[in-house]
Amino acid sequence: MSVIVARQFDDAEQQRNASDLGMWVFLATEILFFGGLFAAYVATRLHDPQAFAMASRLTNITLGSINTGVLLTSSLTMALAVRATKLGSRRAATAFLSTTAVLGVAFLAIKFTEYALDYRGHLVPVLDFAHSGPHAGGIENFFYLYFLMTGLHSLHMIIGIVVVAVLVGMNRRGDFMPEYFTPVELGGLYWHLVDIVWIFLYPLLYLVSRA
Amino acid sequence: MISHPVPAAATYVLVWAALIGLLLVTLGSAYVPLGWLNSAINLAIAVLKALLVAFFFMHLRSAHYMLRIAAAAGFFWLAILIGLSLTDFMVRY
Repeated sequence: MSVIVARQFDDAEQQRNASDLGMWVFLATEILFFGGLFAAYVATRLHDPQAFAMASRLTNITLGSINTGVLLTSSLTMALAVRATKLGSRRAATAFLSTTAVLGVAFLAIKFTEYALDYRGHLVPVLDFAHSGPHAGGIENFFYLYFLMTGLHSLHMIIGIVVVAVLVGMNRRGDFMPEYFTPVELGGLYWHLVDIVWIFLYPLLYLVSRA
Repeated sequence: MISHPVPAAATYVLVWAALIGLLLVTLGSAYVPLGWLNSAINLAIAVLKALLVAFFFMHLRSAHYMLRIAAAAGFFWLAILIGLSLTDFMVRY
C-alpha cells in the first residue's frame, strides 16, 4: 500500500508540506478569530482594572486549574497519538486518540459544572447577574467576556472531540501508515491550538488578582 | 519512502511535566502579592507554555521554515490587532 499523490504535486512529501502549510494558515485565522476577544479583554480591563481584579476572584480557581491540567494532559496524549501513527502502531494510536477524546469530554464536563456554579452565584449576565457597587458594571463586563471566550473555546473543544472521534474510526479502518498520517497530524495541530488558547485564557480569567 | 523525524516518547512526557510544573508555578505565584509583577509573571509563563506546545507538540522545532513563518504570522497580526488598539486605549484612561 502506498500513498496516493494528487497530480498537482511532485511527490508525497510536497503534498504533505502543502497540507501542513494550509493548516497553519487556517490556524492563523483562528488566532485572529479569538484575537478579537482578547483585544476586547485588554481594552475592557484597562477601562476598569479594579473590577477585573474583583471579578476574577469570583471565578472557580479549583475547577479552572484542574481543567488546565486536563487539557495539557490531553495535548500530551494527542502528541503521542500522532507519534504512534508515524511509527505505524495502530493499536497505540487508537488508545491515545481515545484517551484524548475522553479527556476532552472531561474538560467540557468540568467546564459546564463550573457554568452551573457560576449561574448559582448570579454571575451570568443577561440571565441572572446580581452585583451592586461602584464596579458592578465592570464586573458584568468581565463576565460577558468570560462566557464569550470560554464559550467559543468550548465550541472549539466540541469540534476537536468530533474530529478526534472521526480519526479513531479512520485509524481502526487502517487508513493511516508511516507514509501517510496527514489527517492525524492536522487534527493534532488543531487540538494543540485550542490548548494554547486555553493556556492564555487561564491566567487572564482566573489569576488576575488572587494575592 | 520519506523519513520523518519521530521524537522519543520520553521527550513528550518531559514537555508535559514542564507544562504541569509551569501551571503549578503560575498558580502558586498568583497568591504571592507582587503587584503588577503578578500579571507579568502569569503572562510570561503562558507564553512559555504556548511555545513549548508549539515547538514540541506542534513540531515547529523540526518544521520547514515556511511553516514557522505561517505560524509566526498569526501571532504577528494578533500583536498588530492588540498593539494598535492600545495606542488608542492607553491614552484614553
